[in-house]
Amino acid sequence: MSDLKTLYESLQRAFYAQPPDLNTASGLLSKLKIGLIESGLLLPHGDVNFGDLVVARDILEIGALTSIRSKNIPSFDRYFSQLQTFYTDYAAQLPPSKREYPIRGLNLIRLLTQNRIADFHTTLESLPAEIISENPFIRHPVNLERWLMEGSYSKVWNAREEAPAEEYKIFIDSLMGTIRNEIASCEERAYESLPLKDAVTLLFFTNQSDLLTFAQERGWQIDLSAGLVRFAQKGEEKMEIPKQKLIAASLLYARELEQIV
Amino acid sequence: MADIEMKDDKSKDKKEEVKEEPKPEPLTPAAEIKQNAAQIARAVSTLEPRFTHRVLRSLTALRKKVDEAAIKSAVEGVYTKDSEAKKTLLSWLPATSPGSLEESMEVDSSAKNASEPVPEVEVYLRLLIIYQLLSSKDTYAGALDLAHQTVEKMQAWNRRSMDAIAAKVWFAVMRAYELGGDLADARPLFLAAQRTASLRHDDEAQASLINCLLRSYIAYNLYSQADKLVSKTTFPASASNAQFARYHYYLGRIRAVQLNYTDAHTHLQQAVRRAPPARTAPGFYQTVNKYLVVVELLMGDIPDRGLFRQEVLEKALGAYFDIVKAVRTGSLAQFQTTLQKHKDQFEADKTYSLIVRLRQNVIKTGIRRLSLSYSRISLRDICVKLNLDSEEDAEYIVGKAIRDGVIEGKIVHEKGWMECMTQKNNYGPEVSELFGRRIAFCLNLHNQSVKAMRYPLNAHRKELAAAEGAREREKELAKGIQDGEIDDEDLGGDF
Repeated sequence: MSDLKTLYESLQRAFYAQPPDLNTASGLLSKLKIGLIESGLLLPHGDVNFGDLVVARDILEIGALTSIRSKNIPSFDRYFSQLQTFYTDYAAQLPPSKREYPIRGLNLIRLLTQNRIADFHTTLESLPAEIISENPFIRHPVNLERWLMEGSYSKVWNAREEAPAEEYKIFIDSLMGTIRNEIASCEERAYESLPLKDAVTLLFFTNQSDLLTFAQERGWQIDLSAGLVRFAQKGEEKMEIPKQKLIAASLLYARELEQIV
Repeated sequence: MADIEMKDDKSKDKKEEVKEEPKPEPLTPAAEIKQNAAQIARAVSTLEPRFTHRVLRSLTALRKKVDEAAIKSAVEGVYTKDSEAKKTLLSWLPATSPGSLEESMEVDSSAKNASEPVPEVEVYLRLLIIYQLLSSKDTYAGALDLAHQTVEKMQAWNRRSMDAIAAKVWFAVMRAYELGGDLADARPLFLAAQRTASLRHDDEAQASLINCLLRSYIAYNLYSQADKLVSKTTFPASASNAQFARYHYYLGRIRAVQLNYTDAHTHLQQAVRRAPPARTAPGFYQTVNKYLVVVELLMGDIPDRGLFRQEVLEKALGAYFDIVKAVRTGSLAQFQTTLQKHKDQFEADKTYSLIVRLRQNVIKTGIRRLSLSYSRISLRDICVKLNLDSEEDAEYIVGKAIRDGVIEGKIVHEKGWMECMTQKNNYGPEVSELFGRRIAFCLNLHNQSVKAMRYPLNAHRKELAAAEGAREREKELAKGIQDGEIDDEDLGGDF
């Protein structure tokens, strides 16, 4: 136990230092996790000292935030699932943690950037309604999801500076990548051609060369003399009769009818 | 055709049977319980679960009629001798009034030579007592205690003939937890029982327990756990319709949360179909229909207007009708005001988060209406008509609608308008696919009803006996021919 305590103190020192010492912290965390397992606090059940639980929760929270800062998303995922026990099962006994909602919000954003919308909603459903509409950490991802679904991409773009916590910005880049691809696929269908200048603003690029590389990736034709982006027109969709399917269906009906008659 | 007719006849028979029972004289609840106890005993002795099922079918109706005195006199009647079981049963009931005591004395004398009843009867009586205790707030704790004891006894006896009653007891246990304590605390108990039930192939208890668990997960909004439970268990196919209806309802809710609206719709529809008629169980019918309406809206369909005119649903679905109107007109402003107005009801129904998701559907409907009525419309007008925040938003939203196939058209950015094209003729392979799906449904229905037909037990014995007789006759005939008693010419006509 005394080992754990010293480790915990040095973890706090590393984490709260300016700038935080992420390497030391993650090294300490792996040692601390072993310590937690040995004292049965990683996945607590039964009667445990609540003071110990608070410490264990704090360690895991620091772990989650550290992995976010070092952009280690799978590790964040693991810490988050371990924290679930503390947040849901011991919610009544433990004093609420001020990091709970930021971490939950981060998890929501992570699901959003990975396009796991179903999981996003399942997770959201477990939170009370007033938290969803009032807590800034939760409201942010909820709004982002709503705008994404509607297609109000400019709102998402504008909201990137309004992130309620420093860690949220780490996800913003990948989120912007997702949005850009979404917009691009919309443009391919909705426009025949688009002036280069407008394409830059629509796709939230700052200069034309970024757009040109992006256009190359997506296979767009650039007409530099006219200053236009041309999108390949999809030809008339060919109507094909699904022979295989029709034959299979007819055979099935024949067999079923045979059984009935 | 023959199949269907047979089925009709059978159901008629059943109805008559049920009707006949109460006809001769309206039974007192106590007498009915006693009769049921006798039925259960018969079921156990003849190994025929049908009688038990019949008793359990009347449980809901009976529950509303009985009072403590009735149960007490029934206990006195069933247990003629003083025994441990009788004492424990009676200890759960308050002291008797003199009136019912007399009645019980009378019963005692009428059935003197009965032996100790089977454990199933005891569990049945316990079940009735639990429900009786659950009917008033003061005795919830008592009900929970009794429920625990009953479960322990049930597990100690471990009798297969008790399965059907056990399933009902599990449901009562869940009710006791729900009303008297914390439903979350019951989960370990249910999970353990579910494992045992599935190992013993105790389908009825398993179905009941899976539903209890789902209910407890969903009550605490733990949809991911509920989903995991569903994927790790198989719901027994032989479960009763009521259990199936519940199961489909819970599945529908889980799928709706996961944005899998097509599945959610199928499950909720199944739940409505399998549920008892609207009048006998209005609560369930209303709840399922609330979800069904929301899910249909989320799928982009508009629910049938007739649904809202049904007597049972008219009042309960009022708020949902307003939402449907808002979505149909595609007006965001109307949608927002309706949402605010009925927010409390939606939150109580736990449909709020689903309804919030409808926002994008409202926008889509709005755009589709515009695209149908205009051949060219400026983005600014779209913005004004749909109450969007900016022209920029309108452009992205229209772009997305075109990509998602909501409308056919294109945006001319330089001029700032949207040009709509005529809707393409939608008569492609999808039609035959849809047709195929419907045919498959009908065929499945037919096959299921063939499977569901019941034949009287031992009916084939008679046929066997008849065949035996025919063979016997044939032998005699052959013998006769051998003996030369019958001439070939006599037989000529027959052959």
